[in-house]
Amino acid sequence: MTTGDLFNPTEEHRMLRDLITEFTQQEVEPQASTHDASGTMNVELMRKVGELGLLGITIPTEAGGAGMDSVGAVIVHHELSKSDPGFCLAYLAHSMLFVNNFYHCSSEQQRARYLPRVLSGEWIAGMGMTEPGAGTDVLGMSTTAVRSGDHYVLNGTKTYITNACEGHCFLVYAKVEGRVSAFIVDRDCPGFTTSQHIEKLGMRGSTMAELIFDDCRVPVANLLGEEGQGITHMMRNLELERLTLAAMSVGIADRCVDIMIRHAQERRAFGEPLVNFGQIQRYLADGYAMTEAAKSLVYHVAHHCGPDARNRIGTDAAKLFAAPVGKTVADYAMQVMGGSGYCREYPVERLWRDAKLLEIGGGTIEAHQKNLSKDLTRSRPLA
Amino acid sequence: MKIGICAKVTADTDARLSPSADGGSFEFSGKSVVGPYDMFAVEEAVQTKEKHGGDTVVFTVGAESDVLSQLRGSVLALGVDKAVIVEDPALANADALGVARALAKAIEAEGVDLVFCGKQAIDDDNVQVPAMIAGLLGWAQVSRVTAFAVDGTSFTATRAMDGGIKQVVSGNLPVLITAERGLNTPRYAKLPAIMKAKKKPTERRDLAALGLSAEAVAPKVSTSAYGSPPERPSGKIIEGDTDTVVAELVRLLREEAKVL
Ligand SMILES: Cc1cc2nc3c(=O)[nH]c(=O)nc-3n(C[C@H](O)[C@H](O)[C@H](O)COP(=O)(O)OP(=O)(O)OC[C@H]3O[C@@H](n4cnc5c(N)ncnc54)[C@H](O)[C@@H]3O)c2cc1C
Repeated sequence: MTTGDLFNPTEEHRMLRDLITEFTQQEVEPQASTHDASGTMNVELMRKVGELGLLGITIPTEAGGAGMDSVGAVIVHHELSKSDPGFCLAYLAHSMLFVNNFYHCSSEQQRARYLPRVLSGEWIAGMGMTEPGAGTDVLGMSTTAVRSGDHYVLNGTKTYITNACEGHCFLVYAKVEGRVSAFIVDRDCPGFTTSQHIEKLGMRGSTMAELIFDDCRVPVANLLGEEGQGITHMMRNLELERLTLAAMSVGIADRCVDIMIRHAQERRAFGEPLVNFGQIQRYLADGYAMTEAAKSLVYHVAHHCGPDARNRIGTDAAKLFAAPVGKTVADYAMQVMGGSGYCREYPVERLWRDAKLLEIGGGTIEAHQKNLSKDLTRSRPLA
Repeated sequence: MKIGICAKVTADTDARLSPSADGGSFEFSGKSVVGPYDMFAVEEAVQTKEKHGGDTVVFTVGAESDVLSQLRGSVLALGVDKAVIVEDPALANADALGVARALAKAIEAEGVDLVFCGKQAIDDDNVQVPAMIAGLLGWAQVSRVTAFAVDGTSFTATRAMDGGIKQVVSGNLPVLITAERGLNTPRYAKLPAIMKAKKKPTERRDLAALGLSAEAVAPKVSTSAYGSPPERPSGKIIEGDTDTVVAELVRLLREEAKVL
């Protein structure tokens, strides 16, 4: 039964949102600033998320997942990011970049081996696409895989890989005779190591590092699909990645709107609450309007995106629009809070640092502009 | 064993309650939830079922359209097997006794041996319905329970008394238990269970189906008005150097607030 509500189209979506809201307030919010300060991912919390059945949110119930759609995935990222976008990024890398992607391109044997471990959170997972020499230009990757008997031998380096420090297995793209192919690499594959933790500005509730393949031997059974199918897997999954990253930006913006509305009423200057000042009203009103616009776009696209409903234009547009909204509204909230907004005691400066990533990770703003222009002109050719 | 829970869908703890414009009813802003004390009751019922087997059924009085979704998300998704919703126009203005009569009949009809309730609902703070149900059924009631165990047909319950004293009581089923904070830690619903909650049976009963007439639940007390608490007077800011401020504060606490 649908409710006609863009944000909670079915009763299940509403119950999912209630669950995540409560879990976020009770379990996620209290640990966020500690993990931000230490730059560590809360593995125990990820396993709790696993117990709730959220790590396989988009996986069919028959396979042990929750059988939810893209709207469900958006709800989780939206709500978690109100408290801890850093942890949410680790969740995204695990459950969208690995679990969702893996499910759609794996065989029964591969699912039997990996799904139970990654759905419970016993194993933490990630996805390696970006390289030191190829980010936006992802197809320019230089990691290679060469077949040798019942193994592939991988050589190359992936960088900025979320969950690399804690991860037990990774979905890795490498070229076999020049064609992008996807592999699962376990932590204990010979010739595989990860670098030191790479320090970063925000999103510090998740970690990132390099994946280093030095004659790394990966069993042939770990090839996902067939040789050369990597690009199809990658592109399909990037849509959900963009959409859920956009949802994170909406979560940040929502929280910042809340914070500034409250602060502008509580804080007084010149004998009046801040909200009486026109310049402050502009931050509140513009911030709110932008947030609502981004939210509506992201949810609207989520209704039209799934494994069988490709939507590159919609997901590029959603992230292109929503990412700067998170950053801008966090900035507004900091401005409304003044000095207190800049201090570690309050969450705004953390959300402000976290928000910037969404203009870079999972495709830079410029990459979305480039792809959108290409897709839009292709869809409307001159006669 | 068949275990019942009585649960009320009510305003969330952070919702603001306010009398309606005409003072004849009260309204709240924000979402509705299954009351927090009722959630301890739900958890205890599920844990008891996990230990001893049996069936669990939740009872509520209310309009199905207002309560079903909350019962699914907060009760059925946590492992309770079935919901019985008593809905009847005659119950719209029922007092505690009317609600208790309806629930007692529904409990009787299901053949329940053990009922858990929250110690109170958090909107009207009336604290009457559980005791009345127990009375109507002729069962024992143990109130404000912080620990509970069943062994065969007997039970042991620990009650919270004034001053932190604990009283341990025991007796035989059937019994009605009201849950105090600390009885357990309610679990979160798991997403796959949420997705399946819709498949669990929910039954709607009107008074006729329970063998009750509208007169039987007619209110014996009725609300004449709801009024808001008086506005809190604004705080006082004491100015001056430290010595003056402290002296003035002590004087005010002693003479005006009379707390020293
Ligand atoms: C916190 C974090 C987590 C990450 N997690 C992962 C992960 O889990 N897995 C993974 O594979 N990757 C991950 N990444 C990598 C991320 O996806 C890349 O950083 C991103 O795609 C950009 O690539 P780049 O850093 O190489 O920048 P570059 O591609 O070098 O871009 C630099 C600048 O040039 C611009 N630019 C590049 N090409 C063009 C062009 N053709 N036209 C116009 N402008 C252009 C870009 O927009 C950008 O402004 C993560 C990054 C961060 C920061």
